[in-house]
Amino acid sequence: MISNLAVLPIVIPLLSGIIAAFFHKKIILVRFFSKFMIIFNLLASVWIGFYIMENGSVILETGDWKAPYGIILVADQLSIILVITTNVIASLAVFYARSVLSERKEHYYFYTFFFLLISGVSGAFLTGDLFNLFVFYEVFLMASYALIVLGGEKIQLRESFKYVILNLFSSMLFVTTVAFLYSVVGTVNLAQIAERVQDVEQKGILTTIGILLFFVFASKAAIFPLYYWMPKSYIVPNPVVSALFGALLTKVGIYSILRVFSLIFVHEPMVQQLFLWLAGLSMIFGVIGALSTYNVKLIIVYNIIPAVGFMLMGIGLLSETGYAGAVYYLVHDMIIKAALFMLIGLIVYRAGTSDLRKMGGLLHRYPLLGWTFFISSLVLAGIPPFSGFIGKLLLLQAGFEKDQIMLVLIGLGSSLLILLSMIRIFIHAFWGEEQEVAAVSNKPAPSLAPSVILVLISVILGAGAEWFYPFVEDVSNMLADRDMYINSVLKE
Amino acid sequence: MIYAILGPLIISFLIPFFYKWKHKIHTGWILLPVPFVIFLYFLQFVGSEFSPIRQSYPWIPSLNIVFDLHLDGLSLLFSLLISGIGTLVLLYSIYYLDQSEKLAHFYIYLMIFMSAMLGVVLSDNVFVLYTFWEFTSLSSFLLIGYWHHRERSRYGALKSMLITVFGGLSLLGGVILLTTTAGTASIQEMIDQKDVIINSSYFPLILVFIFLGAFTKSAQFPFHIWLPDAMEAPTPVSAYLHSATMVKAGLYLIARLSPILAGEPWFFIAVSGIGMVTLCWGSFMAVRQTDLKGILAFSTISQLGMIMTMLGFGTKAAVFAAVFHILNHATFKGSLFMVAGIVDHETGTRDIRKLGGLMTLMPVSATLALFATFSMAGVPLPLLNGFYSKELFFSSSLELSTSGAALMNTLALVMPYLAVLGSIFTFVYSMYFFSGTFRGNLQADVLPKKPHEAPWGMLISPIVLVSGVILIGLFPNMVNEPLLAKTAEAVYGEAVQKEIYFWHGFETPFYMSMAVVGLGTLLAFTQKRWARVYQVIPGKWSFNVLYDLIVSGIYRVSETVTESYMNGSLRRYIRLILLAMLIAGFGFMMTTDGFMFSNADVAPISLTEVLIAVTMAVAAFATIYTSNRIAAILILGVVGYGLSLLFVIYRAPDLALTQLIVETVTVALFLLAFYHLPELRKIDDDKKERGINVIVAGLFGLLMAAVGISAHSSKWFEPISDYFLETSKTLGGGKNVVNVILVDMRGLDTLFEITVLGIAALAIYGLIKIRRTRE
Amino acid sequence: MEILMSILAGILFATGLYNLMQKQILRIVIGTGLISHGAHLFILTMGKLKRGAPPILDEGVGNYVDPLPQALILTSIVISFGVTSFLLALSYRTYVLNKTDNMEMLRGNENDQ
Repeated sequence: MISNLAVLPIVIPLLSGIIAAFFHKKIILVRFFSKFMIIFNLLASVWIGFYIMENGSVILETGDWKAPYGIILVADQLSIILVITTNVIASLAVFYARSVLSERKEHYYFYTFFFLLISGVSGAFLTGDLFNLFVFYEVFLMASYALIVLGGEKIQLRESFKYVILNLFSSMLFVTTVAFLYSVVGTVNLAQIAERVQDVEQKGILTTIGILLFFVFASKAAIFPLYYWMPKSYIVPNPVVSALFGALLTKVGIYSILRVFSLIFVHEPMVQQLFLWLAGLSMIFGVIGALSTYNVKLIIVYNIIPAVGFMLMGIGLLSETGYAGAVYYLVHDMIIKAALFMLIGLIVYRAGTSDLRKMGGLLHRYPLLGWTFFISSLVLAGIPPFSGFIGKLLLLQAGFEKDQIMLVLIGLGSSLLILLSMIRIFIHAFWGEEQEVAAVSNKPAPSLAPSVILVLISVILGAGAEWFYPFVEDVSNMLADRDMYINSVLKE
Repeated sequence: MIYAILGPLIISFLIPFFYKWKHKIHTGWILLPVPFVIFLYFLQFVGSEFSPIRQSYPWIPSLNIVFDLHLDGLSLLFSLLISGIGTLVLLYSIYYLDQSEKLAHFYIYLMIFMSAMLGVVLSDNVFVLYTFWEFTSLSSFLLIGYWHHRERSRYGALKSMLITVFGGLSLLGGVILLTTTAGTASIQEMIDQKDVIINSSYFPLILVFIFLGAFTKSAQFPFHIWLPDAMEAPTPVSAYLHSATMVKAGLYLIARLSPILAGEPWFFIAVSGIGMVTLCWGSFMAVRQTDLKGILAFSTISQLGMIMTMLGFGTKAAVFAAVFHILNHATFKGSLFMVAGIVDHETGTRDIRKLGGLMTLMPVSATLALFATFSMAGVPLPLLNGFYSKELFFSSSLELSTSGAALMNTLALVMPYLAVLGSIFTFVYSMYFFSGTFRGNLQADVLPKKPHEAPWGMLISPIVLVSGVILIGLFPNMVNEPLLAKTAEAVYGEAVQKEIYFWHGFETPFYMSMAVVGLGTLLAFTQKRWARVYQVIPGKWSFNVLYDLIVSGIYRVSETVTESYMNGSLRRYIRLILLAMLIAGFGFMMTTDGFMFSNADVAPISLTEVLIAVTMAVAAFATIYTSNRIAAILILGVVGYGLSLLFVIYRAPDLALTQLIVETVTVALFLLAFYHLPELRKIDDDKKERGINVIVAGLFGLLMAAVGISAHSSKWFEPISDYFLETSKTLGGGKNVVNVILVDMRGLDTLFEITVLGIAALAIYGLIKIRRTRE
Repeated sequence: MEILMSILAGILFATGLYNLMQKQILRIVIGTGLISHGAHLFILTMGKLKRGAPPILDEGVGNYVDPLPQALILTSIVISFGVTSFLLALSYRTYVLNKTDNMEMLRGNENDQ
């Protein structure tokens, strides 16, 4: 019965979302309920996490249909780490949401969409079935469509139309690719696909299918050259929605690449070469984007892209150090991106504009905000001893081990430019003379506490890496050893 | 020892708490004991029987990041400088900074810096060293930007951070490579692995990385440009970070790694070459400055270059001279900065054109400046420490071996001449600094304030430093055996015994010194006439302009590039995405021999199906050509209904039914929604646009068809669905296998498929309803 | 026949994408419809066509067509239906609020937020 644990992080938010929909008019009740349920979900995931650390992966064969025939949920260390991180961010986002959402938005099922987004994201992390992964993608995408238009402003609709169209296309490509893969290997279970692909001598069309699948994931992960949908569509919704998107959605794409391309398509060195190229280009074009604008929100959004580049580099290097770096960076990036989007929401509120050129001198009145932002900039740029450094250190080490000098240089260079793009915000917004705030809105100020907590977590993840690294090392060992996953699922 | 490093950091966190008493007592007084205690702690190690001490604390051992502290002569000298000068600077700052300033910020930054700097010089683990290294850069950034309402401060802060963090990241690259090559992250253990490192194929890259790190930090040519702009920081900071300690971190790094790297030809060429260029360039540029702190900044640059040169020589004598000069420079330059701060504080300007004749008004400051500048100039008097190390510099430059490769030889031969050249200008700017400020006529009308002598509190620190200058000048061997010998030993790798004498006899170094003094005096007295010469290098050619160009270039290029493709056009995005997929898809298909075609296992072609297929294809094309919205929607319906017919033929009754219903509802929804939308227009693109669309869309269709055919032609495994057919009845309890799969075997899919529908319904409701409430 | 069906699905993708690259919102939405039809046809074709009876178990029938792709298509049809309905509502609202159905007029300036 213990194997049913694996479904909890999916089902708790699902049910919470449905229940919240029924009470959507009773705002105070729903707020309390949401906070309670998301923390409950967090505690449940942490508990499952402890269980997995002690007893190994929890594998649930849904409906008791044995693998590989039914849908399998695999809660291994990688999945549960990401689920816990997701829930940490989600819990803090709920507390932040209260302060940035108007009641009207809360009325229109914000909490329902929020819970279903979490459910879909957790499902994507936990499933061991490729088609089921598609379904969970659709769940969180649909929830994200609903969240992005929440409020229904003009610009929101304009940008979300583009967002929906591009995602819809890649979803259709996703489901078609699953069918192609099914035709060749006769199964949709990830472990069995991996096992069968290993047995094929001449890979033939498999690599091409793999590439198509990669592009599907890459367009969610915002890897060069597929991220066009992201920058503008991430700045139009409410800050709490941006935070959730920036922290979670692109990371599901990266997770899928990590899972599928460490498990199934590891046979073709050209694929790895492609990954490394795209990783480098993502870093370059991402920082270029971040330096191209004075819109603070856009700066943060563009900074997602080089981070994704770093993770892709770890996946493409195909070594244990690389995997460890990618996983560490993944967790770090989820947390710091959530913190940054929340902070930016607050900065824009305080300054009354998102245009850097019109800001100034915020440090005088909001020192805590300023220093939290400053530290989070350092975290993002990978300055030690914060969390970004640990991931980057591992990735650069892995790069040198595989003689990818050029890529390492790009990585170092883009770190500098990331820092520049962030410090530019700090200098413009917090230093200098205080500016007149155009229109002080009568809304209450967004809450700072959630971002402070997230930044603290980042600091602990960095300075206290000794406590976390062993888990990440286990994960990277597991990723490097495909048979471990296959055997644990297929029980051979 | 760990408390010495972390102490200031921890105390800095407490500052906001006792900052509350700021009206009663200056925050500086509370903090003053901190560096002083640390200084006393390190002072107890000084002595001839000192031997290196190691302490180790685990931090992140899994990643080789261990808090290994190693206190040897080199670290000891630096620790004493950091804590000693730190104490004096703190004392000085109490009088320099008014209570109305944001003192809490200032002292927090200063304490963080102190921790970081002590960490740099005491860490044996390269990663820990790097961590502290970056923190020195960051605290320097914050201190330079302390008066951040000034545009120049912000500019200087960003500049110093960009350049030093650039170097820091390069250092990170270097230490990762060093660690991977040597298999250890401890510098002391790396020394044992010297051969492995030097023979590694990465060795040249390691050198480049390390040099970039050290040269940027120590403001070596052409990275020196950040230091003059860093003078925007409050003067105590300039005295502390930007002359006595932080800028010497680069020297420290080179010295620390000398046991590994020294002796390599490129080490000599790069370190001594760059150092010498920096020495000459810095001293030459110092003469044309008009800002007192500007003169001192360039003077610092040139002095750092001189020490760098000596480290590059790597000989016993040179190393000894280098560490000796590190100490001497800290004493005289520290006091000069403080005097410059006093002048600024008491007259309200640092512009040397407005200053002059302050000797009588500020006699104590003038005396202090006199000793310090003369020591800096290397005037041969037995009570000035600067002379000793300068003379050692000359003699070591003469002892260079000329047996190496051609480039090394040439360099070794010209070194003594360049050394003299640089020193002449050093002499000139030293005199310029002193006489421009204290001699000549007082221009009381252009001074913002009426000048008078500084309060004693402000004078204590420079007095202590100048006493150091004189004491070391009188009794140079006092610091030799207990401290300098140990330091030099740590750098050179074996015991260095050297007696320091004032008088060496009539030998070449003496003549060199005489030449410097003679020519220097000549040039100094006739300086006005040479003014044009000093301006010969126009400002627009300077490296500052290059830096500005690079930074603004980065912004401009970023903007142009990003705006060129992120233009908000959906069709452009789709085209670019498809193009990428096409290149990769076809590329991989061809290179991996992916295309397969086999008609061995296919269903026979029948006429009905072909007819349906052709109808669907025609309808699909018709959607492009029609310009009637109702027609377009109905034509789309034709494709949908065609699909459900195909489902019937291909034995999928459930699908056919579902498709039929869904298609009907969809068409109805389409009609509902588009009743309100404007009529379709003819596609009005020009030929080029249309051509691109046709090619991209057509090729993508081709790619999909090709992959589809290949996938179908490579059915290599039995599908798992046989199991479903077998067990549908027995385990699933249903005859309709598709239904059993949906509700049982893949029930989770179905559950969430319904969830998607639910979200869609709520989202649509929200979209429509939120409008109603507003309008 | 499978080959013919693959080509047909390819055509549906191509025409769908061509519509997707148009300016008018309605054409774009029609494009998404065509693409999802293409995708479903691909899934169906990837099972073996017509090699057996419909997957409804019956005495004496030994050969059935592959039921799994059918189940997958069903799931996918329903999901696409949900997304398409949402897209319709969205395009209607986009048109009403932005007062144009030309996506090229809806590029937006990145600093207007």
